[in-house]
Formats: sequence, C-alpha cells, structure tokens
Amino acid sequence: MSATPGTDPTDDLLALLDRLVDRAQPGEGVEVYAVDETETTIKAYGGEVETLSSARTRGVGVRVLADGRIGYAYTADLAESALDETLQQARSNATVATPDEANRLASADGSLPVLPQIYREAFADIDPAQKVDLALQLEAATLRGGAPVRGVDSAQYGDREGTAAIATTTGVRGAYRSCEAHCIVEALAEADGASASAYGLSLGRLPTDLDVEGAAAEAVERVTGLLGGRKPSSGALPVILDPFAAAAFLGVLAGALTADAVQKGRSLFAGRVGEQLGGAYLSLIDDGRLIDGPAAAPWDGEGVPTGRTALIDGGVLAGYLHNTYTAAKEGTQSTGNASRAGFASPPGLSASNLYLVPGDADPQALLAQAGSAFYCQNVLGVHSGANPISGDFSVGANGRMVRDGVLAEPVREATIAGTIPGMLAGLVAVANDLRWLPFGVAIGTPTLLLEGMTLGGA
Amino acid sequence: MLDDSDVRAALVAALSGGGEFAELYAEDRRGRNLTLDDGKVEDLVSGHDVGAGVRVLRGRQTAYAYTNVLTRAALIEAAKVAAAGVRGEGRVTTTDLRTATPPVTHPAQIDPLDADGPALVALVREAEDAARSFDASVRQVTVSYADSVRQVYLANSEGHRSTQSPVRTRLVAQVVAARDDVIQTGFEGPGGSVGHELFTTHPPAGVGRGAAEQAVAMLDSIPAPAGEFAVVLGPGGGGVLFHEACGHGMEADIVGKDASVYRGRRGERLGTPIFTGVDDATTPGGWGSFGFDDEGAPAQRTVLFDQGVCTDYMSDRLRAQQLGLPSTGNGRRQSYAHVPIPRMTNSYILPGEDDPAEIVRSVQRGVYCRQLGGGQVDPASGDFVFGITEAYLIEGGELTQAIRGANLVGDGPTVLGRIDALGNDFDTRQGICGKDGQGVPVAFGTPTLRISRITVGGTG
Repeated sequence: MSATPGTDPTDDLLALLDRLVDRAQPGEGVEVYAVDETETTIKAYGGEVETLSSARTRGVGVRVLADGRIGYAYTADLAESALDETLQQARSNATVATPDEANRLASADGSLPVLPQIYREAFADIDPAQKVDLALQLEAATLRGGAPVRGVDSAQYGDREGTAAIATTTGVRGAYRSCEAHCIVEALAEADGASASAYGLSLGRLPTDLDVEGAAAEAVERVTGLLGGRKPSSGALPVILDPFAAAAFLGVLAGALTADAVQKGRSLFAGRVGEQLGGAYLSLIDDGRLIDGPAAAPWDGEGVPTGRTALIDGGVLAGYLHNTYTAAKEGTQSTGNASRAGFASPPGLSASNLYLVPGDADPQALLAQAGSAFYCQNVLGVHSGANPISGDFSVGANGRMVRDGVLAEPVREATIAGTIPGMLAGLVAVANDLRWLPFGVAIGTPTLLLEGMTLGGA
Repeated sequence: MLDDSDVRAALVAALSGGGEFAELYAEDRRGRNLTLDDGKVEDLVSGHDVGAGVRVLRGRQTAYAYTNVLTRAALIEAAKVAAAGVRGEGRVTTTDLRTATPPVTHPAQIDPLDADGPALVALVREAEDAARSFDASVRQVTVSYADSVRQVYLANSEGHRSTQSPVRTRLVAQVVAARDDVIQTGFEGPGGSVGHELFTTHPPAGVGRGAAEQAVAMLDSIPAPAGEFAVVLGPGGGGVLFHEACGHGMEADIVGKDASVYRGRRGERLGTPIFTGVDDATTPGGWGSFGFDDEGAPAQRTVLFDQGVCTDYMSDRLRAQQLGLPSTGNGRRQSYAHVPIPRMTNSYILPGEDDPAEIVRSVQRGVYCRQLGGGQVDPASGDFVFGITEAYLIEGGELTQAIRGANLVGDGPTVLGRIDALGNDFDTRQGICGKDGQGVPVAFGTPTLRISRITVGGTG
C-alpha cells in the first residue's frame, strides 16, 4: 500500500539525527526530532469502499537553545542542504526569542527506556484487503441493527504505524516504533420524523484486536435510545455521565491540570495542591507507560521517560503534569508529558493516558443509587461551553431520563450547567466500566454519578 | 513547480488500475508562527513543507496516496499506490495539459516573508502593549502571528493544469482579565488571503485593544439566565452560528449521506423572507478565498438560501456527480496530505435594511450577543450549541447587564424561521474549521440580526 522502508527505520532516522546533532556549534544545544509514519484510512459506504487513503509522513523538527533562547524550524525535505538550512533557521529564530533560564533540553546519560508492547511485528504482515473487509463489515453490522437505524454516516477503519526518533547534544538518543488500529462508526436513526446519530468504536494495536461487531452494536444501541427525545424540564437533578460524556469533561480537566496552565494563571487548580477536591473514590491518574492506553509511549516529545503521575489521589489534588520547561521553573522533575503534534511543532505539554480510577459498582448500580437522574450520553460544545479558567460550564446534552433507577424517556436539547469544582465535589459514585476514548488526548473513564448539577431545558 | 512529462507519467500510472479520473496536487509551503505569551516570545517557528498527493476516482470510490518527495520516481510510486486502491477495468487515458486561468486572484501587496524575525516580534509586541495598557485588570495577553506562502500545482487526467500562489496572514490576540474572583477572556483574530497589508486595515494595537475590551467588559457580568428569549446577534458575532447550524448541513457530502436536516429540502422555504445566505470564495483577500478550489474548479459565489428558500448545496467534484448537481467549487483540502471534501469558504448572511440600534430597541427583554464562541452541531438533527463569549441583557430596549456562562441551544431550520430583523451593517470573523480531521481557513459574516425566540442555557 505504501513505500516500505528497506532497512530498520529506527536506524535510518537515528543516523540522520546524529548528523544534525554533530553540527551543533560550541555552546549551543540542539535537539532533533523525526517522525516517519504511514497511516491508512478506509471508509465504507453503501457496501463498497468509499475512500482509501495511504499516507507516508516524514519530517524533521530542530530546536536550538543558545543563551537561554529557543528557536524552532522544521522541514519535510530531508536532503542534506534542506536539513542544514533548517538548523540554520532554528538558530536564527532563537535570536529573537525571549531568554528564559528555565529553557533547557532534556538530558540523559544512557539509553532511553523501551516499551516494546506498543509495536507488533505482525502489523507489517496484514493484507490491505483485510483492512478493507473490516470497514465493510463495520458498516454492514451497523445496518443489520435494523429499524430505526436508517443509515451510517461514516464507517471507518484506520491505522497508523510509525517510528519516532530523538537525539540531542545533551545525551538523549532513542527511537521507537508503534502501531495502532481503530474503527469508528456513526449510526443514523429516525423515528416519527426526528433523527439522531451516535458513535460506536473499538481501539487496538492490530486490526485483529478490533471488535467490529461490538462497535456496531454500541452505535446502534446508543442511537436507538436517543430517538424521540424531548427537552427536559429545568431543575436540579443528579447527572449520570456515560464514558463518552465523562471523557468530554475530563478533556477540559486535562488542560487545567497541566503545569503550563497553572504557571500562567490559567487553571482553576492553581495553588491548590493538597486540597480536598472530592470524595475518596476520586482518583485521576496519567500514565504514559500504561500499554492499555492508546497514547502509550516509552518517552515523551523531549525524550523524557514517561511514567505514572497521580493528579488527584483519593480526592486530594496531588500535582500537575510537567514537561522539562515547566519542571525547571518549579525546580521539579518533568513527568514525561511533553507532547508533539508532529514534526512541525515544538514540544508542548499534555496528558498522555489520562484515566479516572474505576470503582467496584456496575453502571446499573449507579442508576439504582440515583433513582431519578439525567443519564447523559453526549455533551455538545464542551470546549466553548466549559471555561477551564473560571471552572464555569454550561453545555448542551442529550441522553435519557432515569426514573426509579432505570433508563426512561430520551432527552435532547438539554443543557447541563455547573462548575468544575462543584462537579468534582459532587461526584458520588464511580462505576467499574473503564473505557478508553480518543478525545484529543487518550482518556479513560467509567460511568460517573454526579450531584449538584443544573439541568436546563424547556 | 513540476515537469509536465513527470506529471503525465504519474497520471498514466494513476489510471492503470481502472480509475476513471486521476489528479495530482502538489504543494510547496513556507510558513511561520510566532507566539508572544505573557510578555515572552515563546516560539518563532518556521517551516518548509513539500509534498504531492495523487487521487484516483472510480464510481463512488476514492483512493489517495501522498509523498513528501517530488521526484519523478516518487510521484509514479504514489500514483501506483493510489491506482491499486480502486478496482476495475482500465480504459481511461489522459489528455494534454492546458493551463487554466482562475476567475479571480488574491495577490499579496506586501510579501509577509519580507518581514524578518525582529519585525514580527515588533508586530506582536504592539498588540500586547495595547492590550496591557487598556485596563489594570488585564492579567494575561497572548498574541500569535501566522503566515503562509504557498505554491500550489494541480493537474488532472482531463487536461486541467493550474498553479496558484496563495498567501495568508493572521494575527490573534487573547486576553484574560481578572477582578476579585471573576476571570474573563477576550479574543480577536483578523486574517485574510493577504500579506502584511492586513496591518493597514487591522493595526496590531487595535487587535490587542479589541480583545482586552471584550475581557474587561465581561468582568462586570452576572451569571446568565436560562430560558427562552429574543436574542440579538451583533454584526459578525453570530456568523459562526450560520456556519455551524446551517452551513455544514448544506455541504453536499453530508446531504448525500442522508445525514443532513436540509436533505431533500431544496425549493422549500425554511427561513424568513428577509434571510439570504451565501458562500462566496471570490471575496477579494478573504480568509476563505481562493482562485481555484483544491480540485481546480473556479471560485464562485453560491446562494444557499434565497429569501428564506433553500437553494444550492455546496459541492465538490465527487459529490456533485453523485447528486447530479453542478460543482460549486467547494472542494477544499488542508494540504497535500488530504483529499478534497466539500467545505465552506466565506459564508455570509447578507445584510438587510434595519437600523441596528432600532433592532435592539425593539426588544423588551432579551439577550444581546456581541460574540458567540465555538459551537457544535449535529447535522442529522440540526441541533446545535454555541457558547457566548460576550453578551448583555436587553431590558426595555437597552443593553444593561453583562452576562456570562451562557450558551445558545436550538436547531438550524427553526432558527432560520425566526430571524425576523436584519441590520444594514455587516462584519466578518475568521476561523479554522475542522471536519474529517482537516482544518481549513473559513470566514463568517453577518449583519446585526434578531432571532425572535431561542433557548439560552445559563446558570443564573
């Protein structure tokens, strides 16, 4: 399907990085990061392949650190002269940057850790036709859900296989391979002139890990339950967030718990380490080495080993996520959370595998505990409607009412309003159904029961 | 940018697997981003990206492959990968390439690349200084600058060949103001298919001050009420609502999949007779403008709603064929790494005849939104939610109390039927619209307008 690398791609990339690092001038730090990856996306529609795309992305990003100033440049052209020009450009960009003594490159004196489980040799042997079949099966299985399912908006198989490599003048040097596969379907349903849509998905390392039937069944079940929804009446009501809805909220927390947001005064969690934010069953962890998490990697975007960071531990705010810069500012260690949005971006800071530690109860028990509640399956506008600085939010939602501990009539065009601190304090139960979802960062969350929220509607 | 014989060879290879249409899109992009955050020049990033994508179509199938390498051998290799992605008997051949001329161009007056690093730093500092000096409550200022200078080449098996040199420049200011326990944000981000003449019409100081004004005004806000209200949207500030709630559902891929609430409704009156909505890629220097779309169709102005009547969908080549409609030149892609899909360009609600001040005076009790925030829409139902970033209560025809934490909840067709006043003013906003994993520059424009009744979600 695409050009296959001839030799071990990790060696090729490292050799290229070594050449650039060798060109560092005295007194200057140089970090070179490279990616070479192949992505395949297949969309099925109407029983045939609608789109098949195969993409190979290869590029190099260079950071130069001189006199506390950092400059960045990147290139997709890997010719020697283009690489030289890129190094020179990064050097020139550094001269206009503001010096900051916390600017530094990660350092290492030895080899970086590895995480071999995130790559499977078997990935290379998979026949492209098998991937096509998965996309077709996903659509067919969703349509087999029958009425009221009226169509499939998008039945998609996707995978990615690639190599990331890094080398610096400060002793960091490593490369790793990884692979992932996923399928996602959006089912459309209609009854009595009203329509609704909902997603189902499955994630894995290999195409053979994917539960296509399960993803289809999930989309069908979720969309069927939403049909015929009406606006609820307004009032205070417990809210149960299913894992999809809970993940959208955790995405907002993920940003507010970075040291970057905290240091810039853009986080409602600033200065609150050690405070009790919620009950004993509220524990939020980031773990970049957790191989079940979609974002698992041995080291981060600066070459710092990843690891487990407790952000909220037993209801108490335990700390923030750090990269090398934010850690240096506070005289602490990076948590290995430097992120890269590809070779064209300098390192940022984000959660890796962020998850809310599951409890013991099954989701049905949460419904029974609540008695009457709003069971929220989708939130709309969480990024515009939730303010990570003030903590206020008001978001659109749909889902079902819970009456006498069981799911009742569907609800649409509802709003949920509250504050993030109120929401954390109001978390009264956590179910055992942890689910990983790709919401920008990888987020794992079970079903949650919250009190003290305001449901808005007609 | 590319040699004709190499391109012909790649197109021939692309059709070798039974494709009915093949196309090669190549791009050479130089761009810079500069962020000034909390007084610090955090990153000046410059980049050079090159690549070419080969697309092969057969019936409803699309195959696409791209490469970072533009040699003859690499182009042919990518073409073969794409060729293998469709199945069928090979029979189509390519024709001679003829250079096509775009109906409109958007040449930059002042080349952004003439400004060196220190000059860019001076621009963002000017915006920052203006924001900081606006009011003592201003706590954080982030200013970012972005430019891109591209060479875009397109050729297809029907003989189209064109080159374009798109240039874009944008400046964005974000301000956080705080007083006591209240923290509010402001945003302003003008941009266009222009060079540094952008700063003649939008001086950096004005951009910084505008963002600061918004943040500071909202410090006096109280939590928004919840319920149904008459809502007046300020000029430009409501454009994102039209884009999200009506525009996306009028994109032909969504219509074709029966995932749009507007499907099958051409000719039907959905909006009030005063409401006309268009998508216009020809606006000189517009943020979403171009000469040819990303598959070689000429830029055009498409009427989506004509005096309330649903008229034309926005389509690209593939969806136009599927729906049996003309292409409207809305095939766009983020870069050579992406297939073109139907996208908006500059979408506008055209101005009406009402005095904007009179529109506000007509409302006894309602909400005035100067600026909506981001939004989300389910095109199947038309349901949407928008955050409101700057809003005020209207009481007795006057703007009174600033309100915060509100959003607008509703559905597109219903709202179109409730637009009952349109101002004779007009303004635009710019953004990056994400769809199917691709971000493209889009603009939205509206006059002042009144929605007779809509749900406001608030906490007060």
